Amino acid sequence: MAGIKVKAKLKGGVVKVKAMAKHEMSTYNMMEKKTGNRDDANFIEHISATVNGETVFDMSTSQFLSKNPIFKFQFKGDFKKGDKVMMVATDRKGNTIKGKGKIK
Amino acid sequence: MERRQFLNVTLGALALAVVPASVKAEDFRKSKPAVWTAHTVDDAIKALYGSTTLIEEGVQLKAAGESFDSGKKAVASSGGAIPVEFGTKIAAKTIAVFQDANPESAVCVISATKYSVNDYSIKIKMGKPGTITVVVEGEDGKLYAAKQTLDVALGGCEG
Repeated sequence: MAGIKVKAKLKGGVVKVKAMAKHEMSTYNMMEKKTGNRDDANFIEHISATVNGETVFDMSTSQFLSKNPIFKFQFKGDFKKGDKVMMVATDRKGNTIKGKGKIK
Repeated sequence: MERRQFLNVTLGALALAVVPASVKAEDFRKSKPAVWTAHTVDDAIKALYGSTTLIEEGVQLKAAGESFDSGKKAVASSGGAIPVEFGTKIAAKTIAVFQDANPESAVCVISATKYSVNDYSIKIKMGKPGTITVVVEGEDGKLYAAKQTLDVALGGCEG
């Protein structure tokens, strides 16, 4: 798991973020075909983004996001260029993947 | 009773200490597990919000490049990664995405924060043609929704 790529851009007071998490996002049905065990399915269950300790994005997800899912979201507030967007995702197996990007 | 409350508070504090990311926002997989196993959109919406009364206005939805109000049927060339854009100007508490093509219905639930500009884009998988439903829970407690039906040329879920 190689983590999350985060790109953030500040324009007109709004920060637009594009993030890609590297994850297989296998569904129950896929794993049943592959290994015979539905329980082998693994996907991101929860992903969130924080800037300066403030949560700006928070999403609970299911297995139906695409493989290596892309998230685009926006937020505004008292943020400036150079602030770091930290993203954390937790998958079904309990692994944590992280990524960060500077607001440009 | 006091002892029980004490335990709850302590356990809660411990849980928060272990998972700092979930301090503010709700993890809907833990708080509403029934949502993620529901097999129909109606069941999932009911499990999440306790109601299925949807007002179809105020929500923008664009799947595979076709806006929901264009009157055209969207066609996704690959079911493995269908771009879905959605947003709303309504002051929202949560936004949820469902579809009716896969074994379970729920795709994601977003808790809007005070910083959120509610305009998102994600990529989802769909095994066969179906309808995507985006539900916005407004701060007024009402549910707003938009639906888009789309064709999937190549299913992406069974891979």
